[in-house]
Amino acid sequence: MHLLEVKNPVAQQRGVINSIPTNPRPESLDGLTVGLLWSGTHGGDIALNTAGRLIQERFKDVTIKFYNGNNYPAPDHIRQQCIDESDVVIGATAD
Amino acid sequence: MIEIEKAGIPAIPIVSGRFNDDAIASSRAFGMPDLQWVVVPRIYRNLEPDISESQTAEVIDEIIANLTSHAGERDSALDHESSSRYEGEDRYDAVLKMNDDFLRDDLGDGLLLHPPTDEAVSAMIEGTSLDANFEVCDMPPGFGIATVEKIAINAVMAGAKPEHMPVIIASVKALSMIGGGGGKSLLMSTSPQAPLLIVNGPVTKELGFNPRSAIGPGRDNHVNTIVGRAFALCFRNIGYWYPGKMDMDTIGTTRKFIQCLAENEEMSPWPSFAHDRGFKPDESTVSLFITDGELDVQDQGNHTAEGLMKTLAYGCTFGTRSIQGEGGGVQRLILMPPDVAGPIGKEGFSKQEAMEFITKHAVGSLGKMIRYMPLEGEARVSEHWEWLRSLTEERLLDVQIPVMDKPEDCSIVVLGADRAKTAVFPTGPAPVTVGVDEFRPG
Repeated sequence: MHLLEVKNPVAQQRGVINSIPTNPRPESLDGLTVGLLWSGTHGGDIALNTAGRLIQERFKDVTIKFYNGNNYPAPDHIRQQCIDESDVVIGATAD
Repeated sequence: MIEIEKAGIPAIPIVSGRFNDDAIASSRAFGMPDLQWVVVPRIYRNLEPDISESQTAEVIDEIIANLTSHAGERDSALDHESSSRYEGEDRYDAVLKMNDDFLRDDLGDGLLLHPPTDEAVSAMIEGTSLDANFEVCDMPPGFGIATVEKIAINAVMAGAKPEHMPVIIASVKALSMIGGGGGKSLLMSTSPQAPLLIVNGPVTKELGFNPRSAIGPGRDNHVNTIVGRAFALCFRNIGYWYPGKMDMDTIGTTRKFIQCLAENEEMSPWPSFAHDRGFKPDESTVSLFITDGELDVQDQGNHTAEGLMKTLAYGCTFGTRSIQGEGGGVQRLILMPPDVAGPIGKEGFSKQEAMEFITKHAVGSLGKMIRYMPLEGEARVSEHWEWLRSLTEERLLDVQIPVMDKPEDCSIVVLGADRAKTAVFPTGPAPVTVGVDEFRPG
């Protein structure tokens, strides 16, 4: 019999070692602003607008704001505007 | 979405089923393993609008649930045992069992792997001046921590030798320095982008890189292949460039069996590519390009510089260009054989002048180059290109435009055997060149 011991080639990921948790969620979307952040890829806009429309139908006084990032990842100023103006955000790259 | 969450705003992406593993890998890579997302069955980009709407409507409850309540922590634990053991009837049998295991976990390239034993890895680390625990970089796109030991383990698996380590380390570092969002989006693209490595300087002869018919299998390209394979295994197991997770190709490419090539400096009429990047002739370097295709440009009769370069310029015009920004031109890597470079240099063209000539003559139909992206609706058309919307289809096809915006978008590396067959690669963002000598043993 032969015993072979080999080392693990897989590295630790920096993002897992330094991970941070997601944010607390609101109990309801009533009265909130929902940001829709689009990468500019065809079809992603349809997905986001559909989600926005259905959320507006289910919750009171929801404001929908659409942001065209025109790329992935979105340019800093578009992302910042989305952050500044939204309470929650839905994104789509169309992939 | 992670950047939005990091700014304090609850966020969720909608992703298609094929990208679920990609979302898991990305959430780990970018520091938020507990990020939630909603999965739809099909990719949106070429889907009929009514199906796009209906598949989104079907997950609306899930979208709302993820925005209004914590869905619980995603299991982000990874197995990081430092070693594993295999018992076999003899050593060969044990190596085969290790290979079965590594193949199951997708840790290789599908070919037989050498066993990274403690002895082999220690010997490999002797090939560099750096300590085993030294962190060379975080390797994109998964941002695994590239310690010298992890690089050495993957180099052993590839069949590399200790003297190859400085080139492999420099290549890993070069990838971490690629700009233009390369780590976050380009490498994870559904197009077949793949790195190509070019070595310059004394190390090319010392290690036996082949600068002639340099791409492909066989004895002559053994070093080119093995060093490229070592880098590719690092890319996979340190950079997490696993197919279906962070490498999302639609079809794929053989360029992902990464090659490490040497410039044919002796047969070039010009200073080396490393010289263009600011290095001296006695310094060894690795330059990393991200390529996205390959075309053989044949020339069967020209012997003048202008004739050869006009053929080559035409060969550079294939593909598409973007209309997202003010520029939008593409970049080309030209692997130019001595039988093309020689006559061009002999007629007095410097490399810079050759780049300028090729850029000027690489002109094509703008209408054809942007056909892949219809102009109607909110497509990716920047303000700069809005005027295109007013043109008819025929007029758009008549607009002639250089495919490259400036000569620096054209990189020339002299390489190959004695025939006038040039290889042209779409490339970008700009290449990165890293010195090798600092990683060599003292």
